[in-house]
Formats: sequence, structure tokens, C-alpha cells
Amino acid sequence: MAMKAACLVCQIIENKIPSKKIYEDEFAMAVLDVNGSNPGHCFVMPKNHYPIIEQVPDAEIGRLFNISNRISSAIFESLGAQGTNIFVANGIPAGQTVAHFTINVIPRRENDGINLQWQPKQLSEEEISTVELKLKEQTKNLGFEKDEKAEAEKPRIHVKKPVALSEEEDEYFSRQMRRVP
Amino acid sequence: MAEQNIDQEQLNALQEKLRQMSPEELREFQKKQCIFCQIVANKVQSRRIYEDGRVLAILDINPANPGHILLLTKEHYSIMPQLPDDEIAHVFKVAKSLSNSMLKGIDAHGTNVIVANGIAAGQRAQHFMAHIIPRKENDGIIFVLPQKPMEQKEIEAAGDRIIAALSGSAKEEKSEKGASLDEISKLLGAR
Repeated sequence: MAMKAACLVCQIIENKIPSKKIYEDEFAMAVLDVNGSNPGHCFVMPKNHYPIIEQVPDAEIGRLFNISNRISSAIFESLGAQGTNIFVANGIPAGQTVAHFTINVIPRRENDGINLQWQPKQLSEEEISTVELKLKEQTKNLGFEKDEKAEAEKPRIHVKKPVALSEEEDEYFSRQMRRVP
Repeated sequence: MAEQNIDQEQLNALQEKLRQMSPEELREFQKKQCIFCQIVANKVQSRRIYEDGRVLAILDINPANPGHILLLTKEHYSIMPQLPDDEIAHVFKVAKSLSNSMLKGIDAHGTNVIVANGIAAGQRAQHFMAHIIPRKENDGIIFVLPQKPMEQKEIEAAGDRIIAALSGSAKEEKSEKGASLDEISKLLGAR
């Protein structure tokens, strides 16, 4: 296991910290948030230690979000929720508090005190065009169609060996930390 | 539009009609009215950031921050539980790449990925989408996830019900207060 001794989530996964498990397979685990925003609030986490979403391999992304969707559907069915949120905070400025990629699945009711809304920002045409061009420059070579074909030929996911993060990746989170004033 | 002048009786009739529809009929009905399906079909203009056979990413016209992206499925689904597994896998792989694009391309220091299912969760459109929001320190966005004091028993009970539903054995325990997925979807369609 690419486990970080200091990581709270890794300790939960290794059963060193007790938790209420909702789901577990060879590479993912879902547990209840004991200080949750609403009863039934779940965390879905990869067993391997990845601080942020960019480091999670695509195959695991697909599985983790499918598990989250199953749990969201189960929340609708079994808790009488009026809605659910799937929420990911990636990096400290986004509200991430533990350096282990986690998907929040949150049961919702009207007026439950949770707020995931925002005030729209007024931008000038120039600001919008600039950001549009910069993002397009980044996305022009994503090439998912090719990947999909290659992936269709692959067998089921196996997490065979521990995933070693490069030092650079591993330090991303702490670098983020230093940026915070 | 004529719809703006409908009275209560007509509204009730419309809601009754929606209630009678099969999931397939409902999807067709919603699709015709869906602004995001028109954006996908290029009948309504948008600023397209990424597109492939299954998804379209556009800039949100009411952004939380500059570069805020809406990632839409090209197929019309009103809520995430309606998406097939392979569609979900694809959507979130693309979401990951878009998040990465924000860190690299527009100097974001973090990102949020948010899906809202149902009006109570903050969903406004009747078309499934993932929001990808670039974040910086002190950008004025405050998401509130309060930590409520809860009885350990209450939490455990909620957990047990979710586990039972996941294993498909929760039918008889189904909450009477709870709206079914079809109803959640229909409520969006009736707005």
C-alpha cells in the first residue's frame, strides 16, 4: 500500500481508526462521516494514497464515481432524501482538509443548513474570452476518444502494486499549504 | 410563451400528465424543453471548452469564478442516478482533465467538482451536469457544510439503511416520506 503514516484517511482504511464502513472493495472504501452535515453523509476514498484528483488514475476515477453514484441512489431509496450532492474539494483553497482524495456523497433536504451555492461573478467580455482561450489551449489535446477504445480492450481493474507518487506530486499538497497566508 | 399564463388548474393538469408518463416518455418530454439539449445541439450558443462523442464542456454564464465549467452529457439525463456506469466513468475522467487544465492553464490553486441531484440539493437545470470550479485563496466562495450534533445511533441507523439499499434488500424498509428517483426527476421537469 502506498500509505502515508500521517494520513488520517489511510489510517481509517488500515482500520487503525474505527469507522462505520458502507462499502469496501479491493481498492476503494466508503465510510460514514460521524460529524456529518446530514445523517448518511458518506466519504468515498481510494485505498491508495493520492492527495488530489489529478493523481488518481483514470480507471480508479471511473470506479470511485460509480461507487459514489450507487451510494447516492441508495440514499435516495433508503433515507427518503430529497436530493444528493456529490462534492469534491481539490486543494486547500477549495476547502480540502485531508491530503487524501475523497468524494463526499451528501443526503439533502430542503432547508437543511447546507449551502453549496455561489454568487455569480460579473466578468467583462475580455476576461471571459481570455479564460476561454487559455482553457481551450489546455483541452485541445485531451484525446479521450482514443483512450476509450484502448480501455475497452483492457480487462477489469486490478490494483496490483502500490502506486508510488513522484516527489513532486507528493509535495503538491504541502506546497498548497504554504501558499495559504 | 403561453406557459407563463397558465392558471393553477392547468398547472395541476400538467403535473398530473407528468406523473402519468413512463420514464421514457418523460425523458422525451424533458429533452424537448431542455435548454442544455439545445446547447448540445448547437441551437443555443455557448462557449465550448471541450467536446467529444459523449460530453460537452462549456463556460458557465453565471460563474462562481472565471473559468467555471459545466460538463454536460450529450444524452439527456435529468439526474446522475439515471446515467449508465460507463457514462459516469467517462464524465469524471473528463472532469479530472478539466480540473487539471485549470491548475495548469488559468493558475487555479484548487478546484471543486460538484453535482446536485434534485432541487433540494441546489439543482436548477433539468439536465445532468458536473460543475468544475477553479478556486483561489479568498475568492469569496463559501461552501457551508455544517457539522451538526447528531446521535451516534441516528448516524449508525442511516448507515445501516444505506448498506441495506446497496445490497438491494431495503425494499420493505423504504421510507414513505421519501420521493422516488422518478419523482425527483419529474419535479425538475415540472419547473
